[in-house]
Amino acid sequence: MTDRTTVHLEINGRAEALDIEPRVTLLDALREHLGLTGTKKGCAHGQCGACTVHVDGERVLACLTLAAQAEGRAVTTIEGLAGPNGELHPVQAAFLEYDAFQCGYCTPGQIMSAVACIREGHAGSDEEIREYMSGNLCRCGAYPHIVAAVRQAAEELTAQKQAAE
Amino acid sequence: MNVIETRQRGEASDGSGVGGRHSRIDGRLKITGGATYALEHRLENLTYAVLVPSTIAAGRMTAIDTKAAEAAPGVLLVLTPDDDLGLATASDWFGNRAEGSYRPLIPEITFNGQAVAVVIAETLEQATAAASLVKVTSEETQAIAGLDDPRAGEGNLVDNLTVSWGEAEAALAAVPVKVEGEYRTPREYHVTIEPHGLTATWEGDRLTIFEPSQWTHGMARSYAEWFGLPYENVTLISPFIGGGFGSKATASFYGALAAASAKKLGRPVKLAITRPQTFTAYGGRAATRQKIALGASEDGMLQALIHRGANETSMVGTWVENTGAATPLLYAVPNFSSENRLVPVNTVTPGALRAPGKNPSAFGIESAMDELAHALGIDPVELRLKNHAERDPQSGKPWSTRQLREALTAGAEAFGWSRRSPEPRSMRDGHTLIGWGVAIGTFPVIRAYGEALIAIRKDGKVEVISGAIDMGQGTYTILAQTAAEALGVPVDQVEVRLGDSSLPGAAVAGGSMLAGVMTGAVHKAASAAREELIALALNDPNSPFRESGANTLAIANGQIATPRGDGPAISIAELMARIGRDRIEVKRDTLPEALANDVGRMKAWTTMSLMRAPTDGDYSMHSWCAHFVEVKVDEDFGTVRVSRVVSAFDCGRLYNPKLVESQWKGGIIMGIGQALLEEGLIDPRRARVVNNNLGDYLVATNADIPDIEVISVGVPDPHASVLGGKGVGEVGIVGVAPAIANAVFHATGKRVRDLPITLEKLI
Repeated sequence: MTDRTTVHLEINGRAEALDIEPRVTLLDALREHLGLTGTKKGCAHGQCGACTVHVDGERVLACLTLAAQAEGRAVTTIEGLAGPNGELHPVQAAFLEYDAFQCGYCTPGQIMSAVACIREGHAGSDEEIREYMSGNLCRCGAYPHIVAAVRQAAEELTAQKQAAE
Repeated sequence: MNVIETRQRGEASDGSGVGGRHSRIDGRLKITGGATYALEHRLENLTYAVLVPSTIAAGRMTAIDTKAAEAAPGVLLVLTPDDDLGLATASDWFGNRAEGSYRPLIPEITFNGQAVAVVIAETLEQATAAASLVKVTSEETQAIAGLDDPRAGEGNLVDNLTVSWGEAEAALAAVPVKVEGEYRTPREYHVTIEPHGLTATWEGDRLTIFEPSQWTHGMARSYAEWFGLPYENVTLISPFIGGGFGSKATASFYGALAAASAKKLGRPVKLAITRPQTFTAYGGRAATRQKIALGASEDGMLQALIHRGANETSMVGTWVENTGAATPLLYAVPNFSSENRLVPVNTVTPGALRAPGKNPSAFGIESAMDELAHALGIDPVELRLKNHAERDPQSGKPWSTRQLREALTAGAEAFGWSRRSPEPRSMRDGHTLIGWGVAIGTFPVIRAYGEALIAIRKDGKVEVISGAIDMGQGTYTILAQTAAEALGVPVDQVEVRLGDSSLPGAAVAGGSMLAGVMTGAVHKAASAAREELIALALNDPNSPFRESGANTLAIANGQIATPRGDGPAISIAELMARIGRDRIEVKRDTLPEALANDVGRMKAWTTMSLMRAPTDGDYSMHSWCAHFVEVKVDEDFGTVRVSRVVSAFDCGRLYNPKLVESQWKGGIIMGIGQALLEEGLIDPRRARVVNNNLGDYLVATNADIPDIEVISVGVPDPHASVLGGKGVGEVGIVGVAPAIANAVFHATGKRVRDLPITLEKLI
């Protein structure tokens, strides 16, 4: 397979055109071609969640998505989550405060999942958070702290939303 | 209950010196995607390597056809056992080096998944596609699939693991109450979320390796020896490690292949182990079995303990997973006998996985103690307190510190153990059977040596520099806290640089020893830096303190002043400006005088030969814990859920309780997975681990884990380490699986002696 294709992606608000083989996954496009290594490769089988990114605002496993499938779509990675001046997203800040990670390798995926989990309305209780965060494995075993961080961030984001309304 | 007090050794006024609950100083990088792991360093002209695994488990490769692979688009190189890479054998962990050449690929096949070739191409996709085109012809022989294979036999006795005192057989025959059982643990795997791999790049005869490493110096030594390079020509870089748990402490055959390929091609090579290959490119925890017989008097005093254990190893290497590791340490028993055997099978050589030995050992003895408690009609906590060992039964030495009674008592109190109804199947909620179980755990204090460089910069900031590593334990943070306290500066004024073999030396981040080793080294270096700064402030002609008449100075919160506060007070940055210094560097190591030379340092940083055993000296030193677990078992379906855990730990003084609690909980969570989910399943026909992926080899997910309460009952242990801490990282998993098995017995009346406890064993 030597054919190449040009894929146009909007990554963290920036337009990118990639000349790649059509079999390149979104994950490898980010990591190997664009140098955006915040998105992690844990299994390349859609089993661990470390590669979770947002495509058009929804959580997606970048290892099971060909880059070409994201043609013309908006991709948000962990590098695009903090504010323009580096201010942390409430989920990021809560992860730091609650020590919701150790080695940090699953963390970008956990955070991208958590942001989506809250946005989906699936952070209403600890039970619900556990269930909807179970697609992201953490071998260091930070789960109880991840639940606490997501709960805290969900409360904060809800309060922010209410204040804005 | 937390009896650890923050010790204000320096005068760090921000309250976050040693013992403070400081958040990770490397945390921001990890939550923003800015932490660069091994395979993420960008190099020009990079190429990609993919391994080709054997599909047979035993036999000999007779031919390998690489023509199709070599002709595939983008392929640059294919290496097979036919290629002599000109490598020399490297030393083992203890620094012993055999003569001869080293061949990372060989035609003799001893396990399914053994690499037989490597393909290097311009892109990952091209290398992956071409690897599938390599054709191997073999003469297959019958493999021994695992410990349960009838052809595996009883194995060979490991002489130095035979332990005995008293007359165990005779004592057992004479006691009124005895229990006997065989306890088994399957192959288990590390499952670091970051898979292994590396990028290798050459500049002339200098080799740089980007590889996740629990031991930068030890691994750099292997690369240097393979390629016949002076040690300092190799730099191994590993600032972040995506989980290790024992699996990232050794340079491996694939590292040799990547570096040799890079040399041949004159281009950097990235070799990423795929997730399925993480089950065979290096070994997980060996499968084990152990028979235990316990005998006691009617009042519950242990009289005899007989232990006969075995673990699998490979056909070509020796790995001892000592199921007798915890057995002699836990209880006072007058008659004891333990033997261990090694059973060679067709597997990759197993390796160290969180609490090697201690973990399966505790599953045996702590399950057996529960069986004994039931047979005696004595509460399991009471039985453990009754048989508490006042000194180390094996070495006869006094414990340095042992807050195990306190752990059992505090854990029971917090759990509400006194409300337990003793009979199995006596606690339920509708169709849900409820069970409460307890077990204890231990891990030895291993001492070793470390080295650190402290730099005070002209901007007043302090650098801590060491080749030690942080794989999530919190090394960056606790070393910043240690330096901050010793120097008298706020933690946020300290920068820590780790994970590079060209930096000052450190022991392996294994055996739960690194924190104790490195806080000691950093404390020593930072204290010396403080003395040097004060001496300069008192003596430099341009210093405002020269005429102060003080004979020492105080440093607190980054300010330097006379002790009584009656003289000048200026910031460290201002002092550096006044005395015209850009940088003050102080390097110190913790080696004894006899080893404080080049040979001693090389030994200390690149071998394990200077590690000190827990009983080396006047004391026996260990961390301790007690786990209390509640399970809920569906009576009809046999599904087990862990619904509550309370664990109490004696790990001495805690350098940062926030990070320690995370590690303890992480160990407990891995233990929950071990108890209920984890098992490498072997196809008996092909001796292949068939569930070699994360969808089939199950580890605990978020939904499997309840709230976990952890309690520290430790006291500073001055014998264990400079700052009084004992090991933290491994003890957390030890005893979790038996506590769960004991809770399952309490819930259901069924004793499961082979892990994991899956539903078919309960219905």
